[in-house]
Amino acid sequence: MNETKTPPNNFHAIHITGDKCIGCVHCLSACPTRAIRVQDGRARIIDQLCIDCAECLRVCPHDAIRSHTTSFAALDAFAYKVAIPSTVLYGQFGSSVLPNEILSALRRIGFDEVYDLSSICELNCAATEEYLNDHPRPRPYITSTCPVVVRIIQRRYPSLCGQILPIEPPREIAAKILRTILPKSLGLPPEKIGIIHITPCPAKMVSINSPATLARSYLDGAISIRDIFPQLVKALRKTEEDALMRHLFPETLFSGIGMGWSLSGGEVRGLKSHRALAVSGVVDTMRVLDQVEGGLLQDIDLLECTVCPDGCVGGPLEVENRFLAKSRILELVAAAGEHAVVDQKDVSRLYHRNFLSFDHPVSPAEPRPLDPDPARAIRKAKLRDRVFAGLPRKDCGVCGAPDCLTLAEDIARGYARLEDCPFARPNATPKARKAAARPKSARGKEGR
Amino acid sequence: MASEEAYRREFQVKGGDFANAGAAACAIKELLKEFGLSPRTVRRAAVAAYEAEMNVIMYARKARIGLAVTPREVRLVVDDRGPGIADVELAMTEGYSTATAEMRELGFGAGMGLPNIKKNSDRFEIVSEPGRGTRLDILIRTNGHVTS
Repeated sequence: MNETKTPPNNFHAIHITGDKCIGCVHCLSACPTRAIRVQDGRARIIDQLCIDCAECLRVCPHDAIRSHTTSFAALDAFAYKVAIPSTVLYGQFGSSVLPNEILSALRRIGFDEVYDLSSICELNCAATEEYLNDHPRPRPYITSTCPVVVRIIQRRYPSLCGQILPIEPPREIAAKILRTILPKSLGLPPEKIGIIHITPCPAKMVSINSPATLARSYLDGAISIRDIFPQLVKALRKTEEDALMRHLFPETLFSGIGMGWSLSGGEVRGLKSHRALAVSGVVDTMRVLDQVEGGLLQDIDLLECTVCPDGCVGGPLEVENRFLAKSRILELVAAAGEHAVVDQKDVSRLYHRNFLSFDHPVSPAEPRPLDPDPARAIRKAKLRDRVFAGLPRKDCGVCGAPDCLTLAEDIARGYARLEDCPFARPNATPKARKAAARPKSARGKEGR
Repeated sequence: MASEEAYRREFQVKGGDFANAGAAACAIKELLKEFGLSPRTVRRAAVAAYEAEMNVIMYARKARIGLAVTPREVRLVVDDRGPGIADVELAMTEGYSTATAEMRELGFGAGMGLPNIKKNSDRFEIVSEPGRGTRLDILIRTNGHVTS
């Protein structure tokens, strides 16, 4: 569903709505990669720096930041519609609503078939275990479930690209299996079958539209939990008798190992013989990746990073608050127990056929040095330091940059001027002032 | 030559300051990325800086880490005030460590620090005066490898 015309490796799921943005500074300071600038009274996002983590969306008080997910109406393009909801969806309702009822409510609102992901999560975990057994180096490997983590690594930790464990995340594996089997079993051409993820975050749209490890995503789109929730609630209310049936004759087998996948630590919980570490939250993820890049944590086999707090269950597009959702999912995990639904022989067969593997490794993003020529970059860094010395270090955001250091950097790059800071001290060296007062170049080319 | 003039920065590291462990190495890494040096150069320098910074935090009272970068080379000079190393040759042996149980608990002290710095540099000099301190002089050549 390439609805936008951006280059395939640079799709973004986060956008600022011009007429709602009043140019305040909330998003500036929330952005972990300092990708936002306020210019001409409006926030703009610098494409190359944005990792689609949605921290800005969480803090915007004016509802001016929109996420780009698939609309329900867009599914009309498909003759046969398949939903594979994130297991986060099971945590959005009270204790009396079972996963089976949620899946059948999805059928009632228009999906022809609905598949549970917990079994595929278990399959992914078993395949990961095999991969770690086969590959003693490097350490730690990093999981790729969170598309934002992949993007952070491409953009900020390019030397870690080779440490991303090359097994596709459950949503892509599930879609690939269905895409292989359904056209034959239904007798429909593949393009008539729409396979849709139901997502707690906009970042899944990034891995669908700009896949980092596949020639093409096996998914056709992702609908946000928030968008589909009202219809689901209505469909659930109508089905009281149905509910009795679902309670008495459950038809889907849920995996105890896969059910908790959306909670931080859920991806690695099923590992039997490897040491794993789970990190959640974008700032902590970057802190730990810094350590990995510094050569630490080599005694850890697998590093699970998810940028939402507490894992995917903390996604910005869910409805229930994440603490309640987490509590509900923990109930479901406890109810499912250690119940395994996947046959190890199936895992091995798919694994050895490379059915679960990336098409190609993750490649680093184009770097963004101060200047392509290192000698000039060094001169610009010196200018940046001199300019910074004359700035107030209050990080107020009035200049439109998130902090004084970033303003100094923007000045060195030619995107901003010292006059943008109303508090700049006049004691910056004359050379710095002269350079900083140069007209802005290429301004406006940055930011969307 | 003007274009070869080095970028210089100095970082202060305090012994025992585990809360800020890695901060200087991280800042150094970010600077090198801004200069467009190759990921390999950046990573080697980051590993060397990290190990050196951790040594200071674990054993010394304080240190100055001097960074000087030209398009050709990255130089790190770590000058600490601390106990010094009585037998430098022994300390350079892989696996040799004087780390305490607490340090090992934190994942440090595998005895790979100094050998790892050496492995990740093109020239490595260590001078230590027991009772006074240790000075590391680390040079990493970029071999003209830049990202662009």
